[in-house]
Amino acid sequence: MAARNGKNGLLEKWRIDEKPVKIDKWDGAAVKNSLDDAAKKVLLEKYGYAENFNLVDGRLLICTISCLFAIVALIWDFLHPFPESKPVLAICVISYFIMMGFLTLYTSYQEKNIFLVSVQKDPAGMDLNHTWQLSSSLKRFDDQYTLRVSFTDGKSKHTREQEITKSVGAFFDGNGTLVMDQFEKCVSKLHNTLATEKKTK
Amino acid sequence: MLSLDFLDDVRRMNKRQLYYQVLNFGMIVSSALMIWKGLMVLTGSESPIVVVLSGSMEPAFHRGDLLFLTNRVEDLIRVGEIVVFRIEGREIPIVHRVLKIHEKENGEIKFLTKGDNNSVDDRGLYKPGQHWLEKKDVVGRARGFVPYIGIVTILMNDYPKFKYAVLFLLGLFVLVHRE
Repeated sequence: MAARNGKNGLLEKWRIDEKPVKIDKWDGAAVKNSLDDAAKKVLLEKYGYAENFNLVDGRLLICTISCLFAIVALIWDFLHPFPESKPVLAICVISYFIMMGFLTLYTSYQEKNIFLVSVQKDPAGMDLNHTWQLSSSLKRFDDQYTLRVSFTDGKSKHTREQEITKSVGAFFDGNGTLVMDQFEKCVSKLHNTLATEKKTK
Repeated sequence: MLSLDFLDDVRRMNKRQLYYQVLNFGMIVSSALMIWKGLMVLTGSESPIVVVLSGSMEPAFHRGDLLFLTNRVEDLIRVGEIVVFRIEGREIPIVHRVLKIHEKENGEIKFLTKGDNNSVDDRGLYKPGQHWLEKKDVVGRARGFVPYIGIVTILMNDYPKFKYAVLFLLGLFVLVHRE
């Protein structure tokens, strides 16, 4: 902590990684997000995997390009008032909506429900790295949370999946505080089942 | 630091998630902007949706009505028809009826307007020294309307603090809330 420089220090002070997670238990989106974040924490901190950001970066890139089209349209129209700017505006608007289409396709088919792609580096540095992916689903107004762990072997490219479905009530207390111990046990069990399957093959 | 609980979610976010929240906000603004610019391109009018601000066209249009405009080349201006125009140097579009037209052989026109509910024609509103309007002053022709909805716009313009408060709260909500 003392090694971080001043700028990082302010951001660090503001972040509250250690405070127990407390959310509105009736807000389905908040519940799913906090469970996803906790699962991420388990995989990244307990097992020490490295997060691979390519999936998220793809989405961020598409969104950024869309916003750029909008900004270009805004500035061009400001500099060259309306009737002259028609062709440029038309191009920007059409491109924007094409990017929106891309985004929808990307989130539906590439990302699906995956919220973590992590890499288990081989300690010896000899074999290829294995990939662990986490995805989850929680239907609206439902309490059944499904967590799916998938393991892709670096060498054989073979993928194995394991999932569990549990009520969110098992992980949150009456006040909406996430009971990390319970959830961590659950995630670890899921992880270890897949890991041992790997070893026996 | 203030312990505002609703910001907890934001504090737990990493750089990418924070950037995504900002992008989310940007996308919503961009979508609204693109829809507006898209309408501008489709209708050919620089202000495709206007709000009637005064009662000068009653009983046809009332204060607060929302008008949808088009400004195509084929929209001919004829006496007796309603046009939406802007006076040079003024921002606010005016919705009145055409009273007289002078037309040249090549199609150029000069026209005079008057509000149905007004007792005099619009010459008093035009720029000093200007007696006629031209095609370039026209913002469009009304093609459809929705009554009363524009009252919100009028309120927001009359009470700018209210407008800024609403926009600020909406913006804050989008930035802090995770999908």
